Amino acid sequence: MSGNRLYLSVSLLLSVGYFWLGWSLMQPEPKHNFTPCLFKNVTGIACPSCGTTRSVLLITKGHLQEAALTNPLGLLAAIIMLTLPAWLLYDFFRREKTFYNNYSIAERFINKNKKIIIPITVSLMLGNWIWNICKGL
Amino acid sequence: MDSQKVDMYLMTNAKFFSPAHINFIRERLLAADDSKWGLINSVDVKDPTTVLIVSIFVGYLGIDRFMIGDTGLGIGKLLTGGGCGIWALVDWFLIQDATRQKNMEKLQMYL
Repeated sequence: MSGNRLYLSVSLLLSVGYFWLGWSLMQPEPKHNFTPCLFKNVTGIACPSCGTTRSVLLITKGHLQEAALTNPLGLLAAIIMLTLPAWLLYDFFRREKTFYNNYSIAERFINKNKKIIIPITVSLMLGNWIWNICKGL
Repeated sequence: MDSQKVDMYLMTNAKFFSPAHINFIRERLLAADDSKWGLINSVDVKDPTTVLIVSIFVGYLGIDRFMIGDTGLGIGKLLTGGGCGIWALVDWFLIQDATRQKNMEKLQMYL
């Protein structure tokens, strides 16, 4: 993936994420039942990352433990949404490509060890999925 | 490389590359040295149809992106559950072209 396309898609994803988070925060209680998840809308059961929004919303209120219990991916999403904008802005103003270079290094590293990393990540996600279904998210 | 070899290569492998690249590959292969024949044949090209089938069944986990070597996007797709399902759906239509593009990149290293 070329540098500019990476920056464009990451900033697009981040802005969609912030827009979605802001919209969810503004909803009055009781919470709405709308979900953008196609899998859940079609099958009625949770997908591996269902509950991430609820988890991030709990983090904004300071309930870290409940957030991790709702969906551990929420913690990851919160970390990414807090750090990446700063990193992208740093690159933008300094006219450097530190994010792209690190992305390439990480991609090469994962490619080199993909026989270990990918099965582990996929099985973690599958485990999370089973947990999600058991929790009835 | 003699044209018979090049035509044989293109006949067996044309479906792995986008039609727009075939002429370029042919020209570069004709100009390439005979000693590269083994290397070029050993390039690990992926079949777009197989990747499409993988994408339809386990696109939610990003396996299709891992398969063609887009590891960064694969991890992104895995962690977001196929981008809320929307990215996984869009990828059904994009993955074949992405596969052909990746195959071209792999081959280009030896041309």
